[in-house]
Amino acid sequence: MMTGMERLKAAINGTPADRIPVFCNLLDQGAGELGMSLEEYYASGECVAEAQLRMCARFGYDNVWSLFYVGKEAELMGCGRMIYAADGPPNVGEMVVRTYDDIDKLTVPDDITAHPAFAEEMKCLRILRSEVGGKQPICAYVTASMTMPAMLMGMEKWMQLLMMGPPEVRDRLLAKCADLCRKRLAAYHELGVDIVVYSNPFGSTDFIPLKFFHELSVPWMERDLASAASAGIVYYCGSARFGAIIDTILDKLALPAFYLSPHDDIAACKTVIAGRALTCGIINDIMLRTWTRDEIRAEVKRIIDAGMPGGHFLFGTLVMPCSIPEESICTMLDAAYEFGRIGTP
Amino acid sequence: MLQRVMRLYADAVLDTDRDRALQVVTDAVEAHVSPEEVVFEIVLPSLESMMTAVSEGQGVSLAQHYMAAQIGAEVVEEMIPRFAARPATVGRVIIGTAPGDFHGLGKRIVTGCLKAMMVDVVDLGLNIPAERFVDEAVARHAQVIAVSTMMLHTALGEGGSLGVRRLLRERGLEGRIRIAVGGAPYRFDPNLYKAVEADAWAENGILAGKVITDLIHEVTP
Ligand code: B12
Repeated sequence: MMTGMERLKAAINGTPADRIPVFCNLLDQGAGELGMSLEEYYASGECVAEAQLRMCARFGYDNVWSLFYVGKEAELMGCGRMIYAADGPPNVGEMVVRTYDDIDKLTVPDDITAHPAFAEEMKCLRILRSEVGGKQPICAYVTASMTMPAMLMGMEKWMQLLMMGPPEVRDRLLAKCADLCRKRLAAYHELGVDIVVYSNPFGSTDFIPLKFFHELSVPWMERDLASAASAGIVYYCGSARFGAIIDTILDKLALPAFYLSPHDDIAACKTVIAGRALTCGIINDIMLRTWTRDEIRAEVKRIIDAGMPGGHFLFGTLVMPCSIPEESICTMLDAAYEFGRIGTP
Repeated sequence: MLQRVMRLYADAVLDTDRDRALQVVTDAVEAHVSPEEVVFEIVLPSLESMMTAVSEGQGVSLAQHYMAAQIGAEVVEEMIPRFAARPATVGRVIIGTAPGDFHGLGKRIVTGCLKAMMVDVVDLGLNIPAERFVDEAVARHAQVIAVSTMMLHTALGEGGSLGVRRLLRERGLEGRIRIAVGGAPYRFDPNLYKAVEADAWAENGILAGKVITDLIHEVTP
């Protein structure tokens, strides 16, 4: 049997494999796996690593995560409070930028890997590497500069600053966020992460008009990614659609993979990508909470039928909510393994 | 002439150009367009034209919704005191985010759109318990309680829309007060509003304005 890494490489290179790679993003479920509260769970890199390994082995999908929760990035910028829930992901509980003066006080850590807020993730990554390094792709998550302010000042204030200015304040904040983004990318590269999901909802035409995307999003993404090797970087807009700008991203940033929105037209996106990158077809996992077995299978089949012809395709989920029954997770994965099987010619 | 001004205003909003949109309004006022005409012939029709664009599947981005809401609310709030006669409001809405949810942008856009449509809005803020929603709705004679959430677990939580429904039922208020919900998870599961026992949902701020005014009309004699 092939490993997850071999399947991923085969999908990227267009070489033979037993099936398409299947990514399943179980994060908060890890706490349940170990019978812990989310707060205890996320306090320990060992626990996160152990749960990631156990779930990956038990369900048989191809990836593991070093991501705990997205708000961790705000912790690197000085956020001292996370709000925990019993049945959902932790959220940033304190905005570090309350006035525009706070922007100048923000400090981007020089060495991300030495920051206390990164210590547990480092532990997690070391364990993942020693246990499944080279066998299962290890995924990390990095927020783009254009989206990061949402976690530092909140979406409301960020939208206001972004759309109404003053532009010099906006750019001072973006410059710090781009610095953070570059340093995080470099840290993950150094730590041997295989895949970095580069997350930028503000790089989606669901969020901003096309003109704005070209004038602002593209230059800031170029700054984020200037010193990074593009291998392993996956473009993702937080599940917002971005079919209309794939060509520009390929042209300007040459990213090797696109993690679409469940609302994107997979076949149309694949046509635009035209073998230049990996297309990731994504299921609307919020519906897994209520879909029947037949509905799940039909949806997985629809996605794979649209994306698999011609290869260079991966099947994936979003951030799976805790309320999805385990049986439905299994149904989805079994269907993906079945319909994603690649016959020998 | 008003049609042309409306177009200019709508185009400026779609270009997310606040200064230009406000200039169009200022120029109109200087050319003796009345405050009533600014609201009813310029701001509201421009929102309606966006509504049509959205329902016809033409992409209107979040930034454009945001600008339409912000600018529209700003202009309407400035014009109303200048009306010849105090206008009757369409109705009153209590809005906030569900317990455990600290994401306020959706709520803010919906609020702006409602204000631009001459609906009174009481914004309770973030992380609001069901009791508070209901108590405020009663105290302020609101027809609709609007609950916004960004995550699935806060949408489904007992303290959110489900809790509001339970209290309305217990207190015999269901004939008087309607529940509207919205936010990211509803856009991924169009039936979610039923699971949380709400009366209606909408996928964006502009359609929220329509859905909520419809609910107001349902319970207004
Ligand atoms: C931008 C975004 C982010 C950004 C910014 C988040 C923030 N606000 O701080 C970043 C990248 C930081 C992020 C992080 C996370 N996110 Co996020 N994110 C999104 C995204 C792409 C858009 C959300 C948003 O802000 N939209 C803008 C607002 C204005 O839109 P809206 O809320 O939909 O509101 C509109 C309508 O819904 C409607 N509306 C809103 N309220 C109401 C109310 C009524 C009554 C009515 C009628 C209408 C209405 O009108 C509004 C205006 O048009 C969505 C996916 C998507 N495509 O929607 C995921 C999404 C919301 N995120 C999700 C998750 C899980 C998270 C995280 C918890 C991940 C994690 N495990 O850490 C973190 C939380 C971060 C934190 N707060 O600490 C999930 C939530 C679903 C779930 N699984 O529970 C989503 C749906 C993505 C997904 N499918 O997996 N996220």
